[in-house]
Amino acid sequence: MSQSAEKVLDHFKLFREPEYEEMFAKKKAEFEYPVPNEALQHTIEWTKTEDYREKNFAREALTVNPAKACQPLGAVFAANGFEGTLPFVHGSQGCVAYYRSHFSRHFKEPTSCVSSSMTEDAAVFGGLNNMIDGLANSYSLYKPKMIAVSTTCMAEVIGDDLNAFIKTSKEKGSVPAEYDVPFAHTPAFVGSHITGYDNALHGVLKHFWDGKAGTVPPLVRKENDSINFIGGFDGYVVGNNREIKRIFKEFGINHTMLCDPSDAWDTPTDGEFRMYDGGTTLEDAANAIHAKATIAMQTISTEKTVKFIEEHGQEVIKLHHPVGVGATDEFIMELSRITGKAIPDSITLERGRLVDAIADSSAHIHGKKFALYGDPDTMLGLTAFLLELGAEPVTVLSTNGDKAWAEKVQALFDASPFGTNCKVYPKKDLWHMRSLLFTDPVDFLIGNTYGKYLDRDTKTPLIRIGFPIFDRHHKHRYPVWGYQGAMNVLVTILDKIFDEMDADTNGIGTTDYSFDIIR
Amino acid sequence: MTYTVDLGVNGAELIEEVLKAYPEKSAKRRAKHLGVHEEGKSDCDVKSNIKSLPGVMTIRGCAYAGSKGVVWGPIKDMIHISHGPVGCGQYSWASRRNYYIGTTGVDSFGTMQFTSDFQEKDIVFGGDKKLEKIMDEIQVLFPLNKGITIQSECPIGLIGDDIEAVAKKKSKEYEGKTIVPVRCEGFRGVSQSLGHHIANDAIRDFIFDKTDPNKNEFTGTPYDVAIIGDYNIGGDAWSSRILLEEMGLRVIAQWSGDGSIAELENSPKAKLNILHCYRSMNYISRHMEEKYGIPWVEYNFFGPSKIEESLRKIAGFFDDSIKEKTEEVIAKYKVLTDAVIAKYKPRLQGKRVMLFVGGLRPRHVIGAYEDLGMEVVGTGYEFGHNDDYQRTTHYVKDGTLIYDDVTGYEFEKFVEAVQPDLVGSGIKEKYVFQKMGVPFRQMHSWDYSGPYHGYDGFAIFARDMDMAINNPVWALTKTPWKKAA
Amino acid sequence: MAALRQIAFYGKGGIGKSTTSQNTLAALAQMGQKILIVGCDPKADSTRLILHAKAQDTVLSLAAEAGSVEDLELEDVMKVGYMDIRCVESGGPEPGVGCAGRGVITSINFLEENGAYDGADYVSYDVLGDVVCGGFAMPIRENKAQEIYIVMSGEMMAMYAANNIAKGVLKYANSGGVRLGGLVCNERQTDKELELAEALAGMLGTKLIHFVPRDNIVQHAELRRMTVLEYAPESKQAEEYRQLATKIHNNAGNGTIPTPITMDQLEDMLMDFGIMQKEDESIIGKAATAA
Repeated sequence: MSQSAEKVLDHFKLFREPEYEEMFAKKKAEFEYPVPNEALQHTIEWTKTEDYREKNFAREALTVNPAKACQPLGAVFAANGFEGTLPFVHGSQGCVAYYRSHFSRHFKEPTSCVSSSMTEDAAVFGGLNNMIDGLANSYSLYKPKMIAVSTTCMAEVIGDDLNAFIKTSKEKGSVPAEYDVPFAHTPAFVGSHITGYDNALHGVLKHFWDGKAGTVPPLVRKENDSINFIGGFDGYVVGNNREIKRIFKEFGINHTMLCDPSDAWDTPTDGEFRMYDGGTTLEDAANAIHAKATIAMQTISTEKTVKFIEEHGQEVIKLHHPVGVGATDEFIMELSRITGKAIPDSITLERGRLVDAIADSSAHIHGKKFALYGDPDTMLGLTAFLLELGAEPVTVLSTNGDKAWAEKVQALFDASPFGTNCKVYPKKDLWHMRSLLFTDPVDFLIGNTYGKYLDRDTKTPLIRIGFPIFDRHHKHRYPVWGYQGAMNVLVTILDKIFDEMDADTNGIGTTDYSFDIIR
Repeated sequence: MTYTVDLGVNGAELIEEVLKAYPEKSAKRRAKHLGVHEEGKSDCDVKSNIKSLPGVMTIRGCAYAGSKGVVWGPIKDMIHISHGPVGCGQYSWASRRNYYIGTTGVDSFGTMQFTSDFQEKDIVFGGDKKLEKIMDEIQVLFPLNKGITIQSECPIGLIGDDIEAVAKKKSKEYEGKTIVPVRCEGFRGVSQSLGHHIANDAIRDFIFDKTDPNKNEFTGTPYDVAIIGDYNIGGDAWSSRILLEEMGLRVIAQWSGDGSIAELENSPKAKLNILHCYRSMNYISRHMEEKYGIPWVEYNFFGPSKIEESLRKIAGFFDDSIKEKTEEVIAKYKVLTDAVIAKYKPRLQGKRVMLFVGGLRPRHVIGAYEDLGMEVVGTGYEFGHNDDYQRTTHYVKDGTLIYDDVTGYEFEKFVEAVQPDLVGSGIKEKYVFQKMGVPFRQMHSWDYSGPYHGYDGFAIFARDMDMAINNPVWALTKTPWKKAA
Repeated sequence: MAALRQIAFYGKGGIGKSTTSQNTLAALAQMGQKILIVGCDPKADSTRLILHAKAQDTVLSLAAEAGSVEDLELEDVMKVGYMDIRCVESGGPEPGVGCAGRGVITSINFLEENGAYDGADYVSYDVLGDVVCGGFAMPIRENKAQEIYIVMSGEMMAMYAANNIAKGVLKYANSGGVRLGGLVCNERQTDKELELAEALAGMLGTKLIHFVPRDNIVQHAELRRMTVLEYAPESKQAEEYRQLATKIHNNAGNGTIPTPITMDQLEDMLMDFGIMQKEDESIIGKAATAA
């Protein structure tokens, strides 16, 4: 017996004790009828080959380990960014349990969201009654200021009509007639979580700007000097939105953060559970129509919303998750241009400090090869930054990035001498990535938590940047946007480079001549 | 006189108060799921396994979660296709901590996400052809897989895809390969529970009934048992198995944590099925009893009192040699558990716990808390049935607050009023209560710790509960310059 | 520019719905209206008389080929036919697989998002059979068709279907703005057909917009994949369609919320007209040998 009260062994160490090791071996040999070891070893090696890669890339139907989720997840994210808003997902209830868990595992925060709990009878007769009862229950129990409705694939397949259902629910008294219930159809079989974010945000803006589903006259735009900011689906929203607000403050710009869950996903532990906290006020959401311009930080994540805003006469500055000096320069200069305000000295200083940091450290990054995957806008931002650092982003992959996205990435490659040997892979998954890491090895991998399986299999060290991050804590609190954000990204990359360097040079009496205390 | 727990408030009044927040119709329906246990009430006085109300923030999941996430997912050498849109498989990808040993991606597939990633055209034109192609691609890229399951997501049942025909066709094409279509669409039933049942039935129909009984060369012994309903979360099944082996039994199968298809196939050769999670696997246990004459026995491996009782109960099915060894096992580990209790009980004595979990845990863990001098004052099941609540009456004391399919609102209000020292529930609840300053442990995933089963697990359980309750952070939650309201 | 008129033709399969709609729309086009036809029938036959084609490539088949709907451009799916009528077919799966209803939703969303409706005076949806599921109700949702025209005849099943469609319209009429524009009777030369059609219209709370007499010239035109309006614009039948088109054109805003009837009421009406015999209860369930 290895267990003791003094030194309690849990799963990390317990199962390495001899009694367990022996048990595992016996179980395998006697009861699992395992694949013969030779065949296993052979297949392991085969999965690393060009031949396997070719077969892997010939896949047409199967998806393995994708780097994307489904639309309603994004819709819940968007809803969570508005003041006192309860996300309400019409369809099967299991989906909502999944979204809530997924966000809680990333942010280490509660995520409130309700389902209309449709079951087999609703599949046949439609989910109208679920909507009527659901809205009434949510409104009574959770007293939200707004209920933002989206749909699961079940409701979409049977063709439930949210607009009609919500109207009927209001007639039946589920919620008051003038109560705000914006909605968006978010079929899981179209696009990904970023599409759902876009649809839901579009739904909210359409609701407030275009006359609340025909119940009030549409708003008429009267331009003012305010700027709207739309961050898109962003795992770093807590850190990023606060950083962006700080930058606006430095400038002295009137602004509206359109969709701001940075407080909802960062409430204090002080004895009180805040189901709602912060967020864009409903008044601000409506008044956003009058803004001078809108900044879309992740344009691919907000295509429909951007188009809608432009149609209402606003200029939209379309960015792609700017990270680094050049991309942030563009963001800052555009801010200055549209507001007519001079760039504050404090921001100029921050820029200089970032350049200083890059100059100090670039020797360690220069020429290093990276593979990276994630949402399409994020990939554009990180690719540009890596090129700027003199690194080579040789493999850039996205499951939810399409051909048009790939062309944008290619344009970045083409504009940099470091992009010559780089390749972009749209609509591919992490099993494709596994093959690429074997056949075209790189020094580092950048991606979300699921990348740890690639790290394990291919021994490519993973730098965790993306969504979701389940196995490291508090990363979402640190911005990746603005010059300060770029600094965080730089340090995150450097930390891993140095850790790997040390781990590779600590052989006592063999390699530790390079185990330098100064790097 | 029966012992009554210290709820600290009048349970019936609390329930009445909480129900006031609902619209009348909903309050009436929720009332049936809330109660205060009294001796003589055969089902803890609550109704269960009924549809959740829309819009109330139920904690429940769906049939797909019950089949793919619970029953089938852990079978490590089979590939489980999440058939439909990408989300379901993504959110349930490797999140349940069903530990296994194997080379992932080559001979084992547990922590992978295989999906047909349905697009609009698959909905409109049907997905059967795509499914066929997926099978072919799996055969090329994962040649060592020992079988495939098709885990249906909502749209499959709605668009009328014939996955059974695809499975049959492809099985024939691949020389009798085991391919299992599972009709676990998320809209079926009222919770995970129907998914367990459907998954159990699929094992019956596509593993037991379609496998040549002589497929695996197998020499039985009189001591062959199968562990049923242990998903090896954080290694639970392992810290259980080791005890069974020490008492002289031969565990021929684990259902389904760290399980393999051969173990499923060989299970009908067991002499006794020992059933941990009754809720999710009673169906297959009953089937094996009826068809193969294998008796089954429920056991509880949480905390020394229940472990001891269960070991003796299991030994009771075998000869004296087993019974003797069982006593030796109990004696051997008593040294450990005495030390654990001596260390932690003084720190945990009298602490009050509220639970809300799934499966067997709302009752099974009560003994482990009591071994540490703690008291469970409230409990409820996410997807329990009447027979679960009946079994619960043997565990709970009078006055225990019972809440079936609790809603977010109710749970928050109950905890606020009862002020327990610890809440044990899931990830969705964890941060709600921690914000309130209430210590919390996830009792689905063991909060990334474990195992909690068996004697080795009890030591970890005790350490973790102490760690949660006696965490110095809870002394910091009140801001010193803010006066108490 | 006048506001966009969105109308839809519903009716039991085989009733002559797409023939009636295409002839009517051709007549509207001759009146100078700019027309867009959106066929919502998986068999994709709602535009062939306008295009002189067998069946045009559908949105869904093209999307399936291209990979996804997002990969399509409007010009891939839209064809221009007689009198510059723009034509789109939604398409759908083979019978027995997939979800044709979802296909309708997919196509209409695509068309709206890609500006297919820009510059049209009329959008006409041609929808298969009953409102059998949420997907086939898509054209009657808010901000879609404002008026529904039900093509029917004096046959019992056609009237049964008309009543069912009225039920679908009613469901959406209360929350949205959809109205029943009227019935169009496509003559089948059954007994008392005109009277029956008028009576049914009355019971459904609507009117018989037009009674289209049977004329073989329609078949002659169809053989040439043409509308009568194009094949024989001076014919009497062409004039009938022009009248129907004019009535529809002048019917804007005159739609009603339908009052569907029960099966019993429908059967009573058919019995009143002598179309249906009262059931002889004594023979129910008796096999031939037992009689």
